[in-house]
Amino acid sequence: MKRFLKIFKVAFISIYKNRTRSLLTMLGIIIGVGAVIMTISAGEGATLEVENQISGLGTNLLMIQTKSEHKAGINVRMGRPINEKDFDILKKNSVWMPQLSPLVAIGAQAIGPSGYKSTMVYGVSYDYFYITSRALQTGSFFTEDDVRTAKKYCVIGQTIREELFPGEDPIGHQIRIDKVPFTVLGLLTEEGSGGMQDMDDIILAPYTTIQNRLYGHQNGYTMIMASALSEDHIADAEMEASELLRESHKIMDGDEDDFEIMTQIELQEITGNVTGILTILLGAVASISLIVGGIGIMNIMLVSVTERTREIGTRLAIGARESDILTQFLIEAIVLSLVGGILGIVFGILGNQIIYKVTGFFIPTVGYSILIGFGFSALVGVAFGYFPARKAAKLNPIDALRYE
Amino acid sequence: MPAKKVIETKKLNRIFKNGEIEVHALTDIDMIIEEGEFVAIMGASGSGKSTLLHIIGCLDRATSGEYDLDGVQVNKLGKNQLADVRNQKIGFIFQSYNLLARTTALENVELPLIYDRTGQFPNSKELAQKALEQVGLADRIYHKTNELSGGQQQRVAIARALVNNPALILADEPTGNLDSKASIDIADLFVQLNNEGKTIVMITHEPEIAQFAKRMIYLRDGQIISDKMIEKRSTKAFALKELEKPVETP
Repeated sequence: MKRFLKIFKVAFISIYKNRTRSLLTMLGIIIGVGAVIMTISAGEGATLEVENQISGLGTNLLMIQTKSEHKAGINVRMGRPINEKDFDILKKNSVWMPQLSPLVAIGAQAIGPSGYKSTMVYGVSYDYFYITSRALQTGSFFTEDDVRTAKKYCVIGQTIREELFPGEDPIGHQIRIDKVPFTVLGLLTEEGSGGMQDMDDIILAPYTTIQNRLYGHQNGYTMIMASALSEDHIADAEMEASELLRESHKIMDGDEDDFEIMTQIELQEITGNVTGILTILLGAVASISLIVGGIGIMNIMLVSVTERTREIGTRLAIGARESDILTQFLIEAIVLSLVGGILGIVFGILGNQIIYKVTGFFIPTVGYSILIGFGFSALVGVAFGYFPARKAAKLNPIDALRYE
Repeated sequence: MPAKKVIETKKLNRIFKNGEIEVHALTDIDMIIEEGEFVAIMGASGSGKSTLLHIIGCLDRATSGEYDLDGVQVNKLGKNQLADVRNQKIGFIFQSYNLLARTTALENVELPLIYDRTGQFPNSKELAQKALEQVGLADRIYHKTNELSGGQQQRVAIARALVNNPALILADEPTGNLDSKASIDIADLFVQLNNEGKTIVMITHEPEIAQFAKRMIYLRDGQIISDKMIEKRSTKAFALKELEKPVETP
């Protein structure tokens, strides 16, 4: 034990005496660990972000819309538009879809007392709020009656409030949407701005009003949104909607649907694919940074042991045993890998924080990225500190002394 | 009472095998060196003098033959025991000093004591300091290796060889990297240490340095071709005066 302490001291002195070399070795480990933590965390962050956006759309959601095909960069509608008739049939006969809302979407210019903004205006029914589980910060939703009588009421998102009513309470005030005046009834709670779409850059109004004043009736609805009774009945709801609409559209058996039903599950599958690709990509980046970091560590360790072969020879000549040399180099490698690894973890976490501060993109530092980064770098550091030293310690002392 | 034998070799052979080729580096070396001797081993390069020194120093093993070092049958020892013998019985001095870089003289001298397994040197710092005083570097103990001249570095190396109070001091071309004056100083230091009772074996190819020793062994092609006492030993004063003489140019 006393011997071990002695050798331990020798190792520490050696690290300290060769500060530059020690720092360079640690730098390789720091960068390796930090890069792995940051890339893996970024991948996790992106996945989390996409998942949040999906679940932010609502629960047990179904979206029914006219079949469209993507041609030459634009969506071309293939069937006849989903319209009031479809909606009434679903509303009247559906068992599995207690909430249904038409959705008429237009891009429009909204002008408020203190600003204006181009935004998306969604004409919806009262059920929309249930379906998408949006809540109000202040004010109230428009009612079923307001929808039936096509009142010029609206509910706005936080982004709209900021642009149109900076620092003011919007409730009860009028805004103009493409020159049509609407009264603001409510303000939605903040949903969080995602990378793809700002869920707060939104104006909701009765679909009847939007159709009457802005959209017209000939194109039907953009889509029908519905929520299934529960998560277990999403498939039932989908089948039911499909049967009802096929009947309504008089589609023969064996012919294709002229509409599309997208459910939350399918959405999640699609985004699952996207995030899967993202994860693979980031995994590849992380692997490359691991390899680069590993090669860096390996190089400096190999170079330093080569440089130190004469030192090993000297130590052997004055009576060090092979095991003394090995213990010393192993301790050095472990200490450098540990300290470098810990600094690398700090560096990675700080890096994630800085990215969050600068871009607002939240990167959770995931535990396994720390494990992978630290584990791999420590392994490379120790292995390439130990094995060349073992080779040198096994050398005949004369050869080690002569080593150039 | 006969003097104690520090080194005794019987029919020592060393053969290097390089594929098909066998090189007889040493052939049937019989040699006895007693306590208190100062031996210079000379010979041209390739004569086997370094190989002999390595075997004497337990850095290398003879292919055949017997070797007793201070009463220990070295040719029967394993790797770790050889390391311990080097640690306890031998002090090494190299041509290129082989000190640890960026390390103080004191720490360098302490080094052999770190690897000591007998526990007989609890006061390693004191011993190191004393060894440095012995080689005349009392005022340089906290200087780092790179802050010392070549001669001073070799003195640190000598102090390192002395610190564990070895039975034998081995020097491999100790003046090979030094200028003439520093070489004479080092040779003189060996004489002083020998006068204090140290047994010294030194390889050199400089005759004027070898002349400081008591006995000279001459090797050629792996065999001892002459082994005699030096009748007229050189001294520091004489060697320095020789240096002053103008070089005769033909």
